[in-house]
Amino acid sequence: MRSVDVLVIGGGLVGCATACRLAGAGASVELIEASYLNAGASGANAGSLHFQIERRFLENGDALADQAAQILSLNRLAIDEWRGLEAELGDSLHVHMRGGLMVAQTPQELALLEAKVARETAGGLPSRLIDGEEARAIAPVLSPSIVAASYLESEGHADPKALTLAFAAEAERQGARLSLGARAVAARRVHDGYEITVETGRTRSSIRASKVLIAAGAWSGRMGELFNLHLPIFPVALLMNVTERAPPLIDQLIQHVGRRLSMKQAYAGNILIGGGWPSRMRLDASGRFDPGQQADLIETSLRGNLAVAVDVAPQVAQLNLIRSWTAVTAVTADQLPLVGEVPQAPGVYVAAGGSAFTLGPTFARLLARQILDEPEDRLRLFSPARFSHLNSFMGMAGA
Amino acid sequence: MNVREDYDLIVVGGGPAGQAACLALQDRLARVAVIDEQSRPGGQILRQPPRAFTVSNWQAGGTYRKLKAQLRAFETLSGVDWLGGRSVLDVRAEGDGWRVLVSDGAQVASLRTRRVLIAAGCYDMTTPLPGWTLPGVMSAGAVQAFVKSQRLTPGRRIALAGSHPLQLLVAEQIIEAGGEVPALAFAQSLQSALVQAARRPMTVLAHAPQLLKVLLGGLRLTASGCRIRFGDRPVEVVGEEQVQALRLASGAQIDCDAVALCFGFLPQSDLVRGMGLNVLQGRFGGWTAVHDPWMRSSRPGVYVAGETTGVKGAEAAGAEGALAGLAIALDEGLITSVEAERRARGPRRRRGRAIRFAELLDAIADPSVFLSQAQPADTILCRCEDVTQGAVDAAVATVETPNAVKLSTRCGMGPCQGRNCEHLLLQRMNSVEKAPQGFRARFPARPVRIGDLTA
Repeated sequence: MRSVDVLVIGGGLVGCATACRLAGAGASVELIEASYLNAGASGANAGSLHFQIERRFLENGDALADQAAQILSLNRLAIDEWRGLEAELGDSLHVHMRGGLMVAQTPQELALLEAKVARETAGGLPSRLIDGEEARAIAPVLSPSIVAASYLESEGHADPKALTLAFAAEAERQGARLSLGARAVAARRVHDGYEITVETGRTRSSIRASKVLIAAGAWSGRMGELFNLHLPIFPVALLMNVTERAPPLIDQLIQHVGRRLSMKQAYAGNILIGGGWPSRMRLDASGRFDPGQQADLIETSLRGNLAVAVDVAPQVAQLNLIRSWTAVTAVTADQLPLVGEVPQAPGVYVAAGGSAFTLGPTFARLLARQILDEPEDRLRLFSPARFSHLNSFMGMAGA
Repeated sequence: MNVREDYDLIVVGGGPAGQAACLALQDRLARVAVIDEQSRPGGQILRQPPRAFTVSNWQAGGTYRKLKAQLRAFETLSGVDWLGGRSVLDVRAEGDGWRVLVSDGAQVASLRTRRVLIAAGCYDMTTPLPGWTLPGVMSAGAVQAFVKSQRLTPGRRIALAGSHPLQLLVAEQIIEAGGEVPALAFAQSLQSALVQAARRPMTVLAHAPQLLKVLLGGLRLTASGCRIRFGDRPVEVVGEEQVQALRLASGAQIDCDAVALCFGFLPQSDLVRGMGLNVLQGRFGGWTAVHDPWMRSSRPGVYVAGETTGVKGAEAAGAEGALAGLAIALDEGLITSVEAERRARGPRRRRGRAIRFAELLDAIADPSVFLSQAQPADTILCRCEDVTQGAVDAAVATVETPNAVKLSTRCGMGPCQGRNCEHLLLQRMNSVEKAPQGFRARFPARPVRIGDLTA
């Protein structure tokens, strides 16, 4: 039986980065990963650094948009975090913060942009509304149909294939133990924390940990079940497309305020096109969504996603699509990430539920402070306490 | 050209297997289409020149006689829509049938079909060595494509190196087309090839005429001044901007302006894997589709034939195509099982014979003597993304799966989607005794212009 201060479940970005911060602060940490490092959404997302309010928060009414505006203080922290990451972890991260444009093509979309920029200004984010002409001066690739854009200089992109691995390597250097191919299959409360049963191939072992962090992305809900908890985190399968390598064409992150699009040119020259178009998730033997299986491409998503890209940047039509992939990420019941301690299971923390490439390094830094009982209230907005009613009759507190 | 939106059967591949399937169906299925990347039917074995060319004595010789007769018969079938010059991007289950996305280089059509036959052939197995990405280095199959269809040799002096006896034939074709073959090097010794043959005396006897032809071809080559070397593997392609010489393990340096490598073939498997058909991994990587005695795959309504089920030549491909055609007729209720059994006897016999010969060829052509040689760490393994063997080996040492190697090195992330490097990566992983699966199959099976998809 091994004993650690903190057991991290999940070898994605949030898990590796938090393990790195915890180990750096002197805690003994073990991270278990059922598959391989960076295998899920952390490695398969497109690497956007988006600090403007996301489109998904704008399409579901004012209440959600107001709430989402509160995320801006974290976004501001994240901008500083990203500016320092390459100095800390090396330039292989290909951090490219050369600006981001969220574009509009219709008067209605322009109105959405105006309201969004007003919210951002109030939240202290230096985005600004520009007209189509100025947008094209910044990003000549944009179509004449773009009537306006909101522009934020600090947006951009980085390499998701590198970031998690860099944090993992740093975590190991700081003394964290990373166990790959190791799956948590059971958990029980013990007097000074939790005992987790871990399956590695055909062998089982136990780890005692004072605290546990669930950072399992789309699997976080299932991991919660091991602790007799409902975690309202739902897997979603998204489509991503990548073109052949092209000469420099797009320097910024490009998003659309009224349609689903995120587009950028990664360091190698490939243009990545996504924006939240659904793929069809497969079901497991018991008929439940199975995030572990490759989701099926939906042809209308494919054509729809590419059509928006061509509409916004007509030159993209001339490039060859070399690969489309589907990857499973997660959203929470209210779209805001779920980060913090679960009241009904003291010592059990969770960090999952969307935007975790852009915000992951920041979540990790703040969450590590929380886990180590340092004063830290900047994550309050994301606390699982807001879903306490789901766990009124659940949890492990009374064990 | 006639293109419907709904088919009873779509055949992917217009080579011997696809043709034989259509011939076995004898136009009794109403709506049949054959899709092929070449503009005319024939496959790699009978790669036809463009219609505008006038070619006399095309593919002369007894080897091709039967195949040419089958091709002529196929071309006279009236009930088949020939969809040449098109790539299949994707085959996806939809309702009780399949949705096939097809690109003709200008637009992407979406076709529905109740049944699919995948007879997509094979491609040359990539075998990296220092200098292999220089312009002028190509596969033996590529040289044949130029000679058979375009009637030209892609170089004046083409050195051949490999382990597969096919290179004897390619050398003759180069010389006939006006090129020079300054050297032809077999990596294996003549003795080891003969030992392999001696182990299968019945197969050798049964195929004595073919083998004799190979020997005579070799003698003609020697007489024409081409030196055939045995036990001499290629170690480097030398050149600055393009090929200048091929260096062999013996130290011989062959001046040439092109090099053709010929170590064997892998089945085209992107569609098969994308469709989720059961496959088996070949000895050197590559994937062969699993099938029943009637060439039915692991999914209902999908049939597989020819090199898709394992590379074994045109004769076996034709036999498997005929069996698949009979199976489709049987499953459609067009013929009785008695008739199907009766008509399957000939193809089954031919298939068995051809497979024994293919096994003999495989044994003789074994590329292990080359593949087991370590290449320098800076040799490029994934040429789409310029990933070296050293970088791949470093990743293989720390992660468990090909997808993890892909994610951390970019190996297999380029336009070929791993067709040319996946088998190499799997070989590296096998060598450290891990149990690899392959890369996840991803859309599209061939790169496609985005504007074609959005039009």
